[in-house]
Amino acid sequence: MLENSLGLPPVIAAHGLFRSFGTTVALGGVDLNIQLGQSLAIMGPSGSGKSTLLHALAGIELPDAGRITLNLPGYNNVQVETLNDKARTKLRREAFGFVFQSGLLIPELTAIENVAMALMINGVQRAAAMDRAAQALAQLGLAGMEQRRIGQLSGGQQQRVAIARAKVTGAGVVFADEPTGALDSTTGTEVLDILLEATVGAGKSLVMVTHDRSVAERCDRIVTLRDGHIVTDSATAQRQTGSWS
Amino acid sequence: MNTLHLAWMIGRPSAARSTPQLLTVSAYAMVSAVLLIVLGGAYSFTSFEPEAQGMYLPLAAFALVLLIVPLVVLGAAAARLSARTQDRALSSLRLLGSTGTQISQIAMIQAAGTALAGALAGVVLYLATSPLVSMIQFQGAPIGSAIYLPVWVVALAVLTVVLLAVVSAVAGLRKLVITPLAVATRQNVPVPSWIRALVTVGVIAVLYFVLNNVAAIAQDFVTIIVVIVGGFGLGLLVLNLVGPWLVARVGNSKLNKAQTPDQLLAARMILENPAQSWRQVSGVAMASFVAVVGGSGAALMGMGAGEASEPGWMRYLSADVLTGVLLTLAIAFICVAASAAITQSASTLDRAELYDGLHRLGMSYKVMNSARTKSLMIPALTASIGFAIASAILVLPLAGIAVLVKPTTVLMVIAAVILGLLLVRVSITVANPQRLLVAKD
Repeated sequence: MLENSLGLPPVIAAHGLFRSFGTTVALGGVDLNIQLGQSLAIMGPSGSGKSTLLHALAGIELPDAGRITLNLPGYNNVQVETLNDKARTKLRREAFGFVFQSGLLIPELTAIENVAMALMINGVQRAAAMDRAAQALAQLGLAGMEQRRIGQLSGGQQQRVAIARAKVTGAGVVFADEPTGALDSTTGTEVLDILLEATVGAGKSLVMVTHDRSVAERCDRIVTLRDGHIVTDSATAQRQTGSWS
Repeated sequence: MNTLHLAWMIGRPSAARSTPQLLTVSAYAMVSAVLLIVLGGAYSFTSFEPEAQGMYLPLAAFALVLLIVPLVVLGAAAARLSARTQDRALSSLRLLGSTGTQISQIAMIQAAGTALAGALAGVVLYLATSPLVSMIQFQGAPIGSAIYLPVWVVALAVLTVVLLAVVSAVAGLRKLVITPLAVATRQNVPVPSWIRALVTVGVIAVLYFVLNNVAAIAQDFVTIIVVIVGGFGLGLLVLNLVGPWLVARVGNSKLNKAQTPDQLLAARMILENPAQSWRQVSGVAMASFVAVVGGSGAALMGMGAGEASEPGWMRYLSADVLTGVLLTLAIAFICVAASAAITQSASTLDRAELYDGLHRLGMSYKVMNSARTKSLMIPALTASIGFAIASAILVLPLAGIAVLVKPTTVLMVIAAVILGLLLVRVSITVANPQRLLVAKD
């Protein structure tokens, strides 16, 4: 297994991932390592396998073949593909954070309750969860909006709540699927700044699917997929330290 | 392409819509079958001797009136689900330039078609279950073939169900006609005012006085019946007024006490729309009312039952009233259980994307299902207990005497209510997101 410059193994190491839907090959043998504190953008045309790769790495869907090894606090050398649905659900809520394009916030809950919910499903008492959720929202510039319902927040504010929810559990890896896709460019830039600060800025890893080159350029590394294969894998201008794979 | 053809194109049975379509047709079938069985039961009383008819027919009419609420709630739930399955297609048609009238016509044709299919299935269900129902005894003998209604009554019942579906569909589509985007904008639903509670307490106080002094207020038998039935009708109306307020209060209390994710989510789901939460379980409230008032009445009638001095038909009255109460309870709970299963299934299908997303985020289906179940059962228990208490107050002396003199009758009625609530609880497992959404995939 490849190690980074500090001698640590990758937080996620994927080897030979293969996934097909009928006759369509979504992943045709993908190898990919993600290091601690790294931000990785996955790009590629529609149908290239970006989201399938993200789902496989996050344990949302199982690959047909291949291995995914996880090295995070509490999950040392865990083979994700061997876990059953219940164990993978637990893994996702404990070890990972997610920010999707649609936010996936619960409309009945307030902003603070949406964030606290991530802690409560991990067994944190409600009062403590609400305190930590309030802090997370304040750090992302949402102080004073804790009691607002999701429908009362703008698109950018909703994504901040989603980022707070992904961050509040202390997840080692955050997966983001087109997190700025539904936002205007100014708001998108703000949300991206916050997402990077909340993840890489805090020593966590970020795996982001995006169509937007300018968004991808903000990451340390860009992987481009085509027809289920990685065609390029390179450091971005802001992190010219060579290949990470 | 004419409207009829368009309605068929977007509404025809398909694999993608099979679950909601099956649910909708089943619901209409249930409404029609229940309606026909109840009407058949009432119709069978016309074969009694004239003096007995004078007592039994008003009681049957009263039971029918009581069952209107759960039947309408069930029919409306089916109609809403039917409309929801077509919302997206109709919205697209509106964007493509269809007029509001065309959209309404398509919705009406589809609702009528689905309701007709369901109602005809209901007729078959009625005929299939009639041999079983005909074994129920009134006046010491099975109902027998008197359960079978004349064809014109069956046709009228089918027509009524179809009309109910059409009216509900049109009402549900008003927004779509107004705005082509038909975007659901979540707004804060106003919390029902405490004034409702105040009005309810006042009306109950007045009713309590009237019902306990009915002999002084009305002199002849017919007026007494009118006062009693009118009083109970007003009582039911006013208790439905206070229902949403009561559910909101209980929801708030649950919100403050919530410690687990499912408790928090359930409380918020209730508070999202207390009136809708109440509507789903208003049939349970009705059942509680029937249980307390009817159960007390049956118990008191049973005090002197079977005496040789009574005329022939009177000897069976108390047992028949108890049978009627239990039947009304059973039918009310079947309606509530069916409408709860449909409403919850519609809600699960509506929220499929959110449930699926939350599962990806690491929330187990167990938590989501528990929240959904609590969001229904909390209002159901509130309605059941709240209405039982209020009804007991209305007929306090009678209820008290009934407990003392016929505890077995009272226990039987309580057991029926508990069984009914269990039926509702079991019925909503149909809408389990894991089962419904994974099956859909």
